[in-house]
Amino acid sequence: MGTYVIRRLLQMIPVILGATFLIFTMVFALPGDPLAGKCGERPCPPAYAAAFREKYNLNDPLPIQYGKYVGNLAQGDFGETTNGIKVIDQLKARYPITAKLALMALAFEAIVGITVGVFTGIKKGGFLDNLVLISTLVVISIPVFVVGGLSQYFLGVKLGLFPVTVTSANPSFYQLMLPAMVLGSISLAYISRLTRTSLVENLRSDYVRTATAKGLRRRRSIGLHALRNSLIPVVTFIGFDFGFLLGGAIVTEAIFNIPGVGGYLFRSIRARDGASVVGTVTVLVIVFLFVNLLVDLLYGLLDPRISHD
Amino acid sequence: MTTTQDTTTPKEKTSGVTYTPEDGLLLEVEDLYVEFHTPDGIATAINGVSFDLHQGESLAILGESGSGKSVTAQAIMGILDMPPAVIPGGHIRYCGQDLLSMPEDQRRRTRGPEVSMIFQDALSSLNPVFPVGWQIAEMFRMHRGVNKSDALQQAIRLMERVQIPAARDRVKAYPHQFSGGMRQRIMIAMAIALDPAVLIADEPTTALDVTVQAQIMALLEELQQERQMGLILITHDLGVVADVADRIAVMYAGRFVEKADVVELYSAPAHPYTRGLLESIPRLDQKGQTLAAIGGLPPNLMRIPPGCPFNPRCRRAEDVCRRDRPELREVVPGRLAACHFAEEVINA
Repeated sequence: MGTYVIRRLLQMIPVILGATFLIFTMVFALPGDPLAGKCGERPCPPAYAAAFREKYNLNDPLPIQYGKYVGNLAQGDFGETTNGIKVIDQLKARYPITAKLALMALAFEAIVGITVGVFTGIKKGGFLDNLVLISTLVVISIPVFVVGGLSQYFLGVKLGLFPVTVTSANPSFYQLMLPAMVLGSISLAYISRLTRTSLVENLRSDYVRTATAKGLRRRRSIGLHALRNSLIPVVTFIGFDFGFLLGGAIVTEAIFNIPGVGGYLFRSIRARDGASVVGTVTVLVIVFLFVNLLVDLLYGLLDPRISHD
Repeated sequence: MTTTQDTTTPKEKTSGVTYTPEDGLLLEVEDLYVEFHTPDGIATAINGVSFDLHQGESLAILGESGSGKSVTAQAIMGILDMPPAVIPGGHIRYCGQDLLSMPEDQRRRTRGPEVSMIFQDALSSLNPVFPVGWQIAEMFRMHRGVNKSDALQQAIRLMERVQIPAARDRVKAYPHQFSGGMRQRIMIAMAIALDPAVLIADEPTTALDVTVQAQIMALLEELQQERQMGLILITHDLGVVADVADRIAVMYAGRFVEKADVVELYSAPAHPYTRGLLESIPRLDQKGQTLAAIGGLPPNLMRIPPGCPFNPRCRRAEDVCRRDRPELREVVPGRLAACHFAEEVINA
């Protein structure tokens, strides 16, 4: 177990290097001059321009720039924007909001998804089963910005159940409810289908037959013996999805005006703010890798047949 | 999630109903029918099967794949998937009480303490995500309301009883960490945990290699004699039943075609099918010869041929066999066979 974790941590290093290099190169390749418009209508004074280029290593070729960036990164420095704002400070302010939204979306999709999956799995082919199969298909087929816009209009404006957009820099639980449901809706559809399929399969298994032959109540045969096995793939999916959610929901955050990491990344790309983009993506890559590692460890706990030795 | 459910499930005591066998008669199966209603049609898996089982008695049900032997066992246990299975007729009485008309909750309580079952493939029949000791202990906890730690102690004693080495250390191990023979011992421990009166073993040794087969059969025989259980041994392996069974019922296309004492059946089969099965056993004293096999395949259960169901494969078949279905009848005292020419077969 210990050696497994160490091996996985070491494997992260080339992944982080590769991912940051790709992002760095892409941002480097973007057209435009960071100095353009920096000094208003006039071009910047040559002395300032030279100092600026020197400070942000803009005169160096790409590999050198990247090497310097990674060197800073190794010391915990995620760089600063051309306005002199530290990327890490921005992330510190925004990540809690994204994390809160991700957790809410995750709770919503897991609780509702598994419940729906179990009920449809038990009554396979029934009315509820068909209803859910069709509605999940609809949800999966519609893009998030449509679901977001529609739910804003109907649930927010028409019915007034939820706030339409987030208005504070530190949004409350209630304000994040609608965005979390929109964000979780697609995964909710996948989770309910995955749970259903997995449960239907396990209900036919020999060990559920054994549970019946042991004289256990049906509720226990299904709710414990079959479900415990059915949840192995579901929990794995939820874990990976958590990694994605922590990467910030760019579209959802933009629709609901949430000051999270996704919205920040979106604005940084539009503003050609290279340092912010690279810094944010680096953090997201690292978070994603760690969540994946946690999922794999959790998988070993859920399924005793998986060994991490 | 699992642990919370585990503790909130209401504990139940052994049901107030007591079952006492009259004259040692445990189980009466009478004219049982089982059909499977599939989109392609109705398959008749069991076609009027009757037998009795007494305390301390071993009955072997012998047949090919698809002959209906496992379905018979599952019908007795009440673990058939219904639908697609339907039981259109017959009775299964345990200690005089009809299991088929019993309320489901009462019937459920008989599984384990009264009637119990061992399956063919212990690896897939044990739950892969729970420790074996936990799975055995579950019997005591759910049926008798024994607390977790006491139930686990009883599970350890059972594992020792079925000769699992270092039971105390292995009680927390998972099924995949055991060998095939050890897993089948765990299945047996689970099945005998509540001291059932009837034990059904559905091909208990098919998935095991030959030396382990013998050990498992010896263990089953020992436990059966120790506890005076009624044992129903389902198998397609004539060699397995010879030592353990008292009586044999040979099944073909959902019917019994021959019922006899084990020694008598082996010395003089009264049905051509039984004779064919016995001839197909490889023998050490007849090396280098072609193994005798029964030609053809068992009938499609949706279209069982008229007359004797075995007639298309029977070397002896005559017109009467294609026309009239032979009933199971007494050929000589104590010997039942369903063949028009049983007298000739038995004396052949």
